[in-house]
Order: sequence, then structure tokens, then C-alpha cells
Amino acid sequence: MFAFIARRIGIVLLILFGSSFLVYNLEALSGDPLSELRTSSAKNKEFLIAQMTRQLQLDVPPPLRYFHWLQGVLGVFTGHPDLGKTRNGLLVVTEISGAIPTTIRLVLGATILAILLGITVGVITAIRQYSRLDYTMTFISFLMFSLPIFWVAVLLKQYMAIEFNNFLASGQITLPWIFGASVIMGLVIAGLVSGSRKRVLSLFGITFLATAGLLFVVNLTDWVLKPGLGIVGVGLIVAGIAAGISSIIVGFENKRVLYASLTVALATISLYFPINAMWSAKHLNLLGMLAPLLIIFAVAVATPFIFTRVDRGSALRTTVISAAFASLFMVIDRMQRTWFVYSNADGIDQRPIPTIGTVSVRLDSHNFWILLMDAFVHVLLPTVALTLISFAGYVRYSRASLLEVMNMDYIRTARAKGLSERTVIVRHALRNAMIPLTTLMAFDFAGLIGGAIITETVFGWHGMGTLFRNAISSQDLNLLMGVFAITSFMAVMANLIADLLYSALDPRIRVGN
Amino acid sequence: MKAKRTLRSVALIAAGLLATSTATGLAANSANAAAKSTVIINETSAMTSLNSGTPDTNLVTNSDIGYLTGAGFWYYNDGPTLVRNKTFGNFAIVKNAPNDFEVAYSVNHGLVWSDGTPITGADLLLSHILSSSDYSKKAGLGDPTSDTPSFNSGGYGGPYDSHILGVSLSNDGYTVTLKYDSFQPDWQIMGPGPSPVHALELMADGKSGLQSLSVNNAAKAQFVTDFNNGLKGNGSRLKKLGDVWSNDYNIQDINSKTNPLLLISNGGFIVSSAVANTSVTLVRNPKYNSGPALTKTNPLTKVIFSFVTDGAPAAQALGNGEIDVYDGQPDTATFQQLKGLKSVKVETGTTMTYEHVDLRTGNNPGSEESATEAKYDGPFADSHGQKAQDLRKAFLLALPRQSVVNKMVAQAYDPSNQADATVMNSNFLLPAQPGYGTVTAGSGVSDYTDGTQAQRTAAALKLVQKWYPSASAGSNTVSIKMLFKNNARRIGENLLIAAEEAKAGFKVSNVGNAKWSTLLDDPSYDVAMFAWAPSAVSQTGNNANYQSDGSNNHYGWNNAALDKILKALEAPLSASQITAKYLAADKIIMDQAWTLPLYQWPSVAAYNSKLKNVKPSPLVPNMVWNYWEWHF
Repeated sequence: MFAFIARRIGIVLLILFGSSFLVYNLEALSGDPLSELRTSSAKNKEFLIAQMTRQLQLDVPPPLRYFHWLQGVLGVFTGHPDLGKTRNGLLVVTEISGAIPTTIRLVLGATILAILLGITVGVITAIRQYSRLDYTMTFISFLMFSLPIFWVAVLLKQYMAIEFNNFLASGQITLPWIFGASVIMGLVIAGLVSGSRKRVLSLFGITFLATAGLLFVVNLTDWVLKPGLGIVGVGLIVAGIAAGISSIIVGFENKRVLYASLTVALATISLYFPINAMWSAKHLNLLGMLAPLLIIFAVAVATPFIFTRVDRGSALRTTVISAAFASLFMVIDRMQRTWFVYSNADGIDQRPIPTIGTVSVRLDSHNFWILLMDAFVHVLLPTVALTLISFAGYVRYSRASLLEVMNMDYIRTARAKGLSERTVIVRHALRNAMIPLTTLMAFDFAGLIGGAIITETVFGWHGMGTLFRNAISSQDLNLLMGVFAITSFMAVMANLIADLLYSALDPRIRVGN
Repeated sequence: MKAKRTLRSVALIAAGLLATSTATGLAANSANAAAKSTVIINETSAMTSLNSGTPDTNLVTNSDIGYLTGAGFWYYNDGPTLVRNKTFGNFAIVKNAPNDFEVAYSVNHGLVWSDGTPITGADLLLSHILSSSDYSKKAGLGDPTSDTPSFNSGGYGGPYDSHILGVSLSNDGYTVTLKYDSFQPDWQIMGPGPSPVHALELMADGKSGLQSLSVNNAAKAQFVTDFNNGLKGNGSRLKKLGDVWSNDYNIQDINSKTNPLLLISNGGFIVSSAVANTSVTLVRNPKYNSGPALTKTNPLTKVIFSFVTDGAPAAQALGNGEIDVYDGQPDTATFQQLKGLKSVKVETGTTMTYEHVDLRTGNNPGSEESATEAKYDGPFADSHGQKAQDLRKAFLLALPRQSVVNKMVAQAYDPSNQADATVMNSNFLLPAQPGYGTVTAGSGVSDYTDGTQAQRTAAALKLVQKWYPSASAGSNTVSIKMLFKNNARRIGENLLIAAEEAKAGFKVSNVGNAKWSTLLDDPSYDVAMFAWAPSAVSQTGNNANYQSDGSNNHYGWNNAALDKILKALEAPLSASQITAKYLAADKIIMDQAWTLPLYQWPSVAAYNSKLKNVKPSPLVPNMVWNYWEWHF
């Protein structure tokens, strides 16, 4: 094991050296950092060219200059790394450390959402292989897979930002929209179930009416402008989710676990007003926001010990997941009630969904919830765009992987033992089906740092992708190499970690000899 | 029956909802009418420093912000013409002898920095330290030509540096007189600008808060002492100031913890906050009295520079009200999108940057490699005498300038546009500048504009046939290697040119080069196509391009008569005399068939149509030059 890791790290270093040398020289050969100065008619142009030549060491040939750069980077071993300065005299380290958080903010949410959504849809379609639902989801995921991100982004900006903001001027959903939305909702829900034509049709009808009714209520209460779930809404949703999770993980027949997770829901409802009061504190920060939610988690940890005696692990999983959802909906409810204040704030001017940037430059507020909302609306569209594009991969992988596992002998054995289908899938099949996906995830998280060049450009985010693009276009070698060093290091390390993880998860795989 | 009843009640509810929806919709709209006084300006690159004077920080964004937070003796309007800022002070030639040329700059009394400190002549002295290598060397601040000096300024190496003899401050402390060794044609734009020297002194002493008036005045007096000490060779204290000037202003985040001394300025606005790579917020400078007064009607109270986007995303951001002002060179689709926005005004204009085609007659005498590199001996080489001149003339005659310009300018934003765009016809003046008509009427450029392109190309073929009787359309008799950047614009131009030149017997190479700018002196190229980007309006601005020893004369042009005319341009001349010189110079260049200009690069300005008095200018600070007139 140790020998394996040592050998791999040795190879990694070689790869990093070779690729960085190549990239440095290719970029140095591909353009002229002085081109702008050369065509300027400034009277002191020769002085400026001499200055820049000295600063960028342009009189040293690129292959030699590379070793200057490498010497600085190797300073990591002596504790004094030096990635150099950008063309504009800024420290590369500062630029990169400023860009990484931005990039992570942009990509992390989308990656997690894509994994969760993708695996969920993949598993469902695998279980209902060749059903109407399977075909529909396959179609949708391939459609998303093939869409170019810049196009999706422009469409999202047009319809989810500009047109939506226009719509918010009244906030009233018009009749054609209500009709259309209800039809689509009906089709989706009816498409999910299989059964006789009569059952499908009646389900369509019910969904259609329910959606239309709901949208009318939304209009009546001005809910789009002043949304909020309230204690009743949060209570109902959390109780529903708690019951649902308990049915998936342990099944409805296990009443003790059900009671345990419902207790979490009950605790959430009784804590609704106290938590909201705490959240109204003047100088709230992220810790202050998360702290009250810990009470819900405390309840979630305690209940399995009160209600169950056997299989406490599953019970604990159920209650903790329920608590996570309960916390999420507490926050959603609070955010919804911030919406009206936010969209009427000075600098937002009732156009709350932005198309570019990470913050509203005109917004002048110190309220935690307003700022959180501001961060949320800015990350919303890029996240939706990235998720749409990348979730298809997870759908296909997890579907294929689960289908393969479902044909294994041990699944047949499990069924033959008389286990319920739920137990067979959740406990026996799903876990094994997820092993190959770890590789995919490891790479996706490595890609987090690399940034999303196109997405960042279209949405005006100043992350790693933007740095990379600017560095290439302005012949900024130090900056380019800084970005390259970080991202390539992440990529090769993710590769290594994926291999190690794989062997840890799957006992059939052994690393080393 | 039951269904009918349900339907009826649904319809009833729907009608009721519709009525309420229209009512609430109206109410929501009317709440949005408050007068706006904040403008958000889009910049494609982020602010890197509050000081745009160093070679590193000389970026458009930094200078735009510097323009709003500063005011000096003059500014460029949208002409672009130089306008004197009489509110700040006056300047005039006080002595004009052959070896003694003196200009006096007087600051008006009563002007103050944003911290209330009076602006005096002492504040102009720093400019000398920033532009004179001699001073820098004498004071022991370093030799700018070989090393990075204490004041790492981008101002060294120009005509000021080579001609300044000395600077003196008047007894009342409000007038600074510059003494040059000869007349300076650009004396107006070479003058000093004010810098808050007291802030530099205070920061060099480690102060980090605004000080009282008496402390500030003492600091300013200290600066005058330091300046004089520097002249005597004692620059130890100036070194500390140089360190502050070169480094401390390089900040990207500005908030309540920022040293307020860094923000002292005398423009209409003052930086109040900034977030790195995101935005900079400027608020009104309440003590502003150094420049044109802000408009009376609802003037701006806040200016925000937002560094988020370039090109396409800007259109949607404008449409969504996230930015108010955009300028740049968008692609066709983005332009159409901008045009389609209801609340956005779109103006097309030109930049100072102009495209041109140069023919090589020899090696650049100033080129570093000129001693080692091969002598140019191509078809256009001066050494071939009349033959080369005829071939040059033929090449320029067959240059399809109108169709290139139509493609690159008229159809840049609207491919269906069939109208002819303006072809630039003078090597010295832009079409909008005074005297352009006179120069183009007499310079002989008519050779290249009269008749149709087909006629000119036919004439070109005749000239080629004079030396190569077998030449014909498509005969590829004369091979021409052309230097151009391999981007879409230049490749498109090259294709048009090569097609037309082929009809005159020329075979033009069609491979662009990413490193074209390093190959300008490479004698293996016969023709170059690129753009000059002037950053100021100067009487002698183009001399370096055509003088036989000019630093921009990459193509080895050499003509004694022309050198004489260009030399004469360096003397004091009236506007009509300047035009006459340009005419004479252009005539020689046209006659020699060295080069032809093509067009000025187009640009687009788009802004919130409620914003009034926006007048885009081709020179930096492009949009914001008249910020004091802006209002909603």
C-alpha cells in the first residue's frame, strides 16, 4: 500500500513537471506580451517596452524562464512558495486565493445537486426500467447532456431573470400560464405512475385541478411577491418528508422508527417560533443561523434511543435525514419571508433575479438574511445551468450500474431469502451500485477548483475559469501557470484518491502487488 | 350537474382573481418611480490600483476611476479636443527663445482636496519626479532606464524627460514654471497634474488617519523641502514617499479599515468602497471645486464601476437594469440584442485606433537585429528604384479598401447593411479632425479613391505589366508575404485583399501569425496590416511612424524631404500651418506609395436611456469624460 502510494506520487510529480513545462513553453510561443505596447503611439513607448521586458524577464528564453518560475514554486518545500506576479503587478497567490472561493461557490452547489438528483433519477429509472418514466427521463437527460452551456445560460437569463422580473411587476400568474402549468404538472405526475388508463387519467385530472387551485390561491394571496410557508406549511411538509424517509429506509411496517422521525417533525413545529425569534437577532452571522438548528439535530439523535431497541443505526439515519430536511425547510420558509423585503430593497428595485455577478453592487444592507438572499439569487441561475448540464451523466451511470448489480446472483439470493423488494434495493443493490460512481465524483470535485470557464464568463463571475481565460488572452504566464499548477495538482490527486477509495470500498480490488 | 356547478364556481373565482390581479399589478408598478441618482458603469477589467501612473497599473479601469476622482489643467472632450479646465487654473508660455522654452502653470486660489487641504503649486511638483529621469538619478532614486526607480512611474522616457531643464515654484506657492531646452509642440499635454503630496508625506510617516489642516499644511511644506533636497542629491526621504506612491495605492478592497489618506482626491467623486474583482463605489466629493460644477438637475450621487462582464452578457445585464453604461466592440448578435432593448440607447462610434497597410522599402534602421538580419530585397525594396515604386503603387491601387471597410465597419453590426462606410484617407488625421478635408483634397490620395475598384485594379495590372509583361489576372507574378494577426478580423481582411490583388498579378500570402507584433522588423515580410492605437492627440503624434529614424518606422521608409517637413512640425505652428505640413507630408507618402490607412475601429456605447448627456469619446476615459453633466 505504502509503496503503491509512493510510486504513484512519484509519477504524479513527473507528470506535473512535464505538463507544466509544456504548457509554459506553448503559451510563451503562442503570442507576444508586448503587442499592445508595440502598436501604441505613446511617446515613451521604448521606455515602457524596456520596463515590461525587464519585469516579465522577456530577455530570457522561455525554456530557461520556466525554471525561474519552477524555482519559485518549489519554494513550497522550504516554506516560501513564490508564484510570481501577474502582468498588472498583483501577486498570483492573492489572485488565485481570491478566485477559488468564488469558483467553489459556483460549482459546489451544482455538483452536489447534480449528484443527488442524478442518482435519484437514475435509481428510479433503473427500478422502473423500460417504463414510460424511464423513457421520459432518458430523453430529458440526453437532451440536457447535449445542450451547450452558453446557450442554456442565455435562455435562463432571458426567461428566469429578465422575463421573471418583468412578471414580478404584477406577480399575478395569468390564466394561460395557470392552465399550461396545470397540464404539465398533470402530465408529469400521471407519467410517473403505471397502471390502467382509467387510473392514469383520473390522476391527471386530480393533479390538474390541484395545481390550478393552488396557483389561484397563490394569486389571491400575492404569494409570488410575499411568499412564506408559515408554521402550518413547514409542519405539513416536514411531517410528510419524515414519514416518506422512514418508509424508504426501514419501511412503514417499522412503526417505532416512523414515530421517531415524526417526533423530529413535531420538535421542528414546536421550535418554529423560538428559532425564528433567534434568527431575528440584529447581528446574526452564519454560526448564529446554524446554532438553533442544532436543537433539531439533537432531538434527531436522541429519539432513536427512546423509540427503538434494535437496528438503531437505520433509525438514526432516518431521523437525522429528517432533521436535515426539517432544517432546510425552516431556512426556506425564512428566506421566503425575506423575499419581499429583499426585492423592495434600494438597489434591487423589484428586479430580484440578476443575470451577472456575485453580489448586487448597489445593495447597501447588513442584514444577514438580505445578504444571504442576495448571494442565493446570484448563484441561482449558474447553478441551475450547471446542474442541468451535468446531472445527465449521473443519471446514466447510476442507472446502468444499478441495473448491472440487479442481475447479480446475490440479489437473486436476497430475493430468495424472502426479503422485501425495498430491502433488496436499498440495502443490497444500491450500495454496491454506487461504488463505480465514486470515481466520477472524485473527478467532479477535482474539477471544482478548475472552474467553469464558459459559465463564469457568461455569468460574469471572477473565478478560476476567468483567471485562466484572462491569463491566456493577455499572455500572463505567471498567472496562467499558477492556475494550471493548482488545477493540475487537484486533478492528479483526485485520480489517486479515486483509486484508493475504490479499493477501500470494493474488497475485490486491491492496490499494490 | 355537479360538474357544471364546479365549472361555474371556478369561472367565478377566476374572474374575481383577474380583477384583483390587475389592481395589485398597478399598485406595484407605481411604487417604482423614485428618482435614480446612482449610475453603474460596466468595466471589462477590474480595478487594480488607485494609482494608474505605474507601468503595471496603467489600465483603462484605473484611469477611469482616476478621472472621476481627479481634476487638472485640461481634459479631452468627445471631439476629441483639448479643453482647458479654467476652474482649476491657467497655463501659458512665458518664454519662447530658441534654447529656453518656459511654461507657467498657475493653480487658482481657494481650491481644496477632499480633506479640506488647499491645493497649491507644491502639489504639482510630484509630476516632475514622476517624469524626469535626471531628477530621479540626481536624487538617488534610481535610473528608470536600467532599473525600477523608487517612484515606479510609467512617465519616464518621453519628450518631457529628454527636454526638461528645470522646475521652479513661485514665491506665493501657486505657480510652477517648467523650463525646456527647446520648443515642445505638445507642451499643453506635457504639463503637471496635481497629487495630494501631503497625504504621501503623512503616509510615509506611518499616519493612517485624516489630520488637521495645520498638520496637512506642514506636511506639504515638508514635501517642498524634500523636493529641493532631492535636487541637491539628498533623496533619502523621497525614497520613502516613492515606496508609498508605488505600492500603497495598489489596493483592490476598500472599506472602513482602509487608510483614508489613500482616498484623498480633488475630483467630483471620491472612492468610498471597493470589493476586489467586483466593484468600486464612488460617492460625491462634497468639497469638489477643482473642475466643472456638477449639473443642477438631479446630479449623480453615486457612481459604481462594476467589473463583471464583457460582450454578450452586458446586453442582458443592461436589459435587466443591472448596469447602466456599457461600451465596447460587441459582436453582431450582441449588437442586435442591444438594439432590441427598449430602455437602452445605443450609439455607434469610432475609436482612435486605426487599421492600415504598410509596404516595406527596407529594414528598420532602429531594429536591434538590423546589423545581423538580412537586407530587405523584396519586390518593394527602395534598392530597386522605379520598379519597386511602381509595384508599390500597383499594390496600393489594387487594395480593395472600400470593400474591406464595408465588411469590417458597415457590416460589423448589421450584415445586411449595403451602405458605404468611411474609408480613412489621411496618414495624419482622422476623418473627424479639422483639416482632414484639406489634406485629403491635395495629398494625391485621389489616385487611390477615384474611379471604381475595377478601374484601379486594371491600372495596377498595367503598372505590373510594365515590369513583368507576362503578368495577368491570376498569374501570381509577384509574390507578397503579408504580416497580420491570425484573428477573425485580419483573416477576413486578408482574404478580401488577396482576392483583389490577384487580379493585378500579385500573390498575397494568407497565413496570419499570433506573434505578428514581434515580427514587425522581420525583413522577410513585404506587407504588414495592423492598427496604431494613439492615446493622445498630438501635433507630432505620427512623426515616429514616418521619420527615417522613427521608432515606429518598421518598414524602413526613408525620405529626406519628408524628414524635413516632420522636423518642422516640432516648431510652434498655427492650425493652418499644421494642416499645410500634414498635406505636404501626406503627399510625399502617397507619392512614394508606402502605406494607406483603412478605417478607424468601430465601437458601440449602450446606456440606460433615462441617463442624459452621455457623449462617448474615442479617447480614454471614453464614456465618463463629462460625468459632471450626467443626470437621470
